[in-house]
Amino acid sequence: MGKTMIEKIMKRAAGREVNVGERVWCKIDLSTARDFGGANCVLQFEEVTDKKGKVWDPDKVAFTFDLQAPSHSEKVSTNQKIIRDFAKKQGIKKVFDINWGIGQHVMLENGLVKPGDVILGTDSHMNLLGAVGAFATGVGNTDIVASWFEGTNWFRVPETMKITVNGSFKKGVCMRDLLTSIVGTLHADGMFFLSVEFYGDTIEKSSLADRITLCSMVTEMSGKIGLIMPNGKVLDWLVERAGKEVLERVSSLAADPDAVYCQELEFNVNDLEPMTSCPDAPDNVKKVREVAGAHVDQVHIGSCSNGRFEDITAAFEVLKAANFRIAPGIRAIITPSTREVMLQCAEAGYIQKFLEAGVVFTNPTCALCTAEHYGALPSGDVGMSTTNRNFIGKVGKGSHTYLASPMTAMATAVRGVVTDPRDILG
Amino acid sequence: MDKTILRGKAWVFGDDIDTDLIYHNKYLAETDPKNMPQYSFEYLPGKENFAKEVKEGDFVVAGTNFGCGSSREHAVYCLKYAGVPVILAESFSRIYYRNAINNGYPVLFVKGLSQAIKDGKIKDGDELEVNLLKGEIKDVTSGNTFHGDAVADLEKDIMKAGGLIEYLKEKAAKK
Repeated sequence: MGKTMIEKIMKRAAGREVNVGERVWCKIDLSTARDFGGANCVLQFEEVTDKKGKVWDPDKVAFTFDLQAPSHSEKVSTNQKIIRDFAKKQGIKKVFDINWGIGQHVMLENGLVKPGDVILGTDSHMNLLGAVGAFATGVGNTDIVASWFEGTNWFRVPETMKITVNGSFKKGVCMRDLLTSIVGTLHADGMFFLSVEFYGDTIEKSSLADRITLCSMVTEMSGKIGLIMPNGKVLDWLVERAGKEVLERVSSLAADPDAVYCQELEFNVNDLEPMTSCPDAPDNVKKVREVAGAHVDQVHIGSCSNGRFEDITAAFEVLKAANFRIAPGIRAIITPSTREVMLQCAEAGYIQKFLEAGVVFTNPTCALCTAEHYGALPSGDVGMSTTNRNFIGKVGKGSHTYLASPMTAMATAVRGVVTDPRDILG
Repeated sequence: MDKTILRGKAWVFGDDIDTDLIYHNKYLAETDPKNMPQYSFEYLPGKENFAKEVKEGDFVVAGTNFGCGSSREHAVYCLKYAGVPVILAESFSRIYYRNAINNGYPVLFVKGLSQAIKDGKIKDGDELEVNLLKGEIKDVTSGNTFHGDAVADLEKDIMKAGGLIEYLKEKAAKK
């Protein structure tokens, strides 16, 4: 009987055959924490080891500062210092401080992620690293602390869902719209505890940015991990960053042709339209044109889901088609996911154009995924964002948020109301 | 009274209660678990008074996918340290489930609970009697009974040890 990707990944990490449903102890390739949760991990580790504990392998522990970068509260500044001091004490070199950007993206760019790696982090969107075939998962502080003892942790071997996507996106439509449409179809628990493998020509020809978008939102359907085995340009990019071992991993960890799936779904994107998650849940999905004209106070483009150069380019093209003008009174904020992405934007000449149009272009950080960051919404305001969650009050009590693609978000900034980007792109 | 039989008031929630509703991201910078209960359910309309009014021994009762969303362990601590002895839900989100087990915090899987909540068969303020050993849940107010399954497999051993850290320490000591 053939094996799925996650079965092969867990077999490699457990050092033995594994079966769906059983609990296995896996070797951890990278155990990471952010400025959110990171201080909790450090304090807990020090407490349970009487400050005498040593992490199992300082090279396999990393810290990223992205929740508040730079910090704007004394409490978070203190938490960040707790992490810096601990890293120094433990000899942990992989500390990506406030000048780097969103953790998963930074680690990916720095060659720390290979297909088949088992990666933990205090971020429920760690699993976007499935975009290059890694098994990464968000966990709480206890799981991180436990993994620091001996570099292992427990997992249930999950069933796998297979999703095949074919066709080409029409102008104004992109991977985010497909994803929103999938969330609307499967709902908040549609991938409950599952591993998900993505196939089909739409996936094979997609960019890394698109794959990140797709895999990041598996969390919003309660999935464990979304996996895409790197191919083409994504594979070349990854080999360049993470080394030739990537090639061996790709060939040994790809799913067998006769792998067993618990569910198989097919989507075609040829006739897909721009989609949006309406307030107040990611699975409250409508076509953008069904809610076009709805009032919006603030637009935000960025986050671990849609903050790559390709995402910002898509937004730039919409702004360009509107002669670089946004609607009077609208607040538009763009946050690149990493410093590398910000540099790309600078080199492409985007930043100057965005600033001239009145868009706020910020340093790389998580930004509007929390109410404690800049751009928090006051009660009664409505936002549109390319982030991954719009739970009630998520970015401010009494506020409401639409989730959409970078193109729809920028089109909305241009008109000042929810707008189908095709109305601007023509 | 037998310690395996717990009595308390029900706080009833629906399906897909996410971690921002249980413990809002606004308070993520908190590092002391004992400070976390004051923020429980602050952002959930209708349940804003939970933190002030919850009594030690009260139960959290929910439908499917309880704790979906973020990985924050705060969302477990804020109920554990409020004195909620066990969470009863039809199902738990993956990370929330791990976080509960890893802290030795009991959860019961109760089949049909989501529909029972929608049908008003178990309501806010109902007096519950929960037999942890048998997994039996009696709604004393409404007269309805439910059955809950405790965790199995490795999770049972982790629970027995009192949490994941304790489990690993026991394992290391045996070596």
